[in-house]
Amino acid sequence: MNARPALRLVTPAELEPVVPSVAFCSHCGTRPSAPSKHTTPGSRVCGECGLGLILEAGEDIAPRAGDAFLVLDRVLSVCAVSRGAERLLATSEPDAVNRHVSELLMPADAEEKRGESLSVAVAWAARGDGGTRTATVRPANTFGIRLTARIAGCGPPQAALLVLE
Amino acid sequence: MRYLKTSEAAALLNVSPNTLRAWERRFGFPKPQRSPGKHRLFTHGEVAALRDALQEGLSISSAISRAREGLAADANSLVGALASYDRERADAAIEAALALRSVERSVEEVLLPTLDEISRRYSVESAAWAFAAHWATDWLRRAIRLTPPPVREVSLVVGDASRDELDRDAPYIRALELFCVRAGIKVLSLSARGVAGIGDAANVHRPNLVVVAGSHLDDDTVARWAYAIRLAVGAMPLAIYRRGAERPRTRGTGTTVLPTGAGDAQRTLLDLLESDHVATTPSASAAAAGARVQLRSASRSSQ
Repeated sequence: MNARPALRLVTPAELEPVVPSVAFCSHCGTRPSAPSKHTTPGSRVCGECGLGLILEAGEDIAPRAGDAFLVLDRVLSVCAVSRGAERLLATSEPDAVNRHVSELLMPADAEEKRGESLSVAVAWAARGDGGTRTATVRPANTFGIRLTARIAGCGPPQAALLVLE
Repeated sequence: MRYLKTSEAAALLNVSPNTLRAWERRFGFPKPQRSPGKHRLFTHGEVAALRDALQEGLSISSAISRAREGLAADANSLVGALASYDRERADAAIEAALALRSVERSVEEVLLPTLDEISRRYSVESAAWAFAAHWATDWLRRAIRLTPPPVREVSLVVGDASRDELDRDAPYIRALELFCVRAGIKVLSLSARGVAGIGDAANVHRPNLVVVAGSHLDDDTVARWAYAIRLAVGAMPLAIYRRGAERPRTRGTGTTVLPTGAGDAQRTLLDLLESDHVATTPSASAAAAGARVQLRSASRSSQ
């Protein structure tokens, strides 16, 4: 009684290992483990710095306190700039928000053969396609510096998280 | 217009009052007004707009940006209404702005920028500008009439040196008058063209300060008008508002040049009026002199 080979629907969860999500602040990168004395119950605002909203991302990419990262939407506009990224890119979040990512970061793909292009990686991540991609970037108008950017989805709402290393 | 104290606004946003003050410092939003006791007063509309934006935001900055965009929509709809000569839509647009802001901020953030946009887009010689300026002047005068009677013991005379209501400065002058009246100051607005009977008007009003506003009339005409006021009630501080930056100034005359924004100008005027220099008003001096005479006569009778 051999079962005949047949097509069956495969869910994304079966294709990719499930990475647990962790929460982090969109500004300071702190991962709120337990409600601190500053945390207001039910609030999305970070109880530590008060200047960011709590987002979620896969544990493999979610930043830690002090990391430099950006949150981008599907049209590649900057939605959040971490404190570390403000220092690294010499900008401030209120100035950077709603600007195109190319005003802060430029792809440096010429030297990096394996990495995907920055815009494609961000667009895929912002659409919610799973997996972490990498791209090599440099700060706009700054030459001689190359940074590795790990890019994956985050939210809610769905967006792309770009962590600079 | 509904106002919220810091604790109320923080509760609505589900954050601590310290966080709200940190947002004000970093982002300038929500931007509170100050009560007479210098406490922060947030407009409910701004806080509610921010609360909604935070639900769908990825950062505080992006939420604030979205909330601001929502509030700026009022200015766009007023531009559209005035450019299409639709008085009812214009009334509705300013009413919508008033639902989210105070009168002062509605004027500063919606009405005056709208007029600037129309003058820039169509020029001040256009029919659109004529319609918009007439509507705005009418609205501002109506707002002045609806303001409760003044409560402060200070008054000022505004010498209007603008051409007419189609002058670009005219809405700003009316806005300054409105802000002063709403701050409890008695305001008498006169044309700076005529000096006949100006002494009677000044004697009745007893101003603490004179403001010359507008750039259409030349300096000689304005000086004659200011001199007539001075003859009637004596020397007093003079402030000039929107007289044009290119106009040469005599240094050391003690004249205060007010900022071009109506709100900033009103705040500067309040500081001037509340300073010790202005406190000794003609009417206050007379009252003080009368009180001194009464005290002397009382002390003589007791001796």
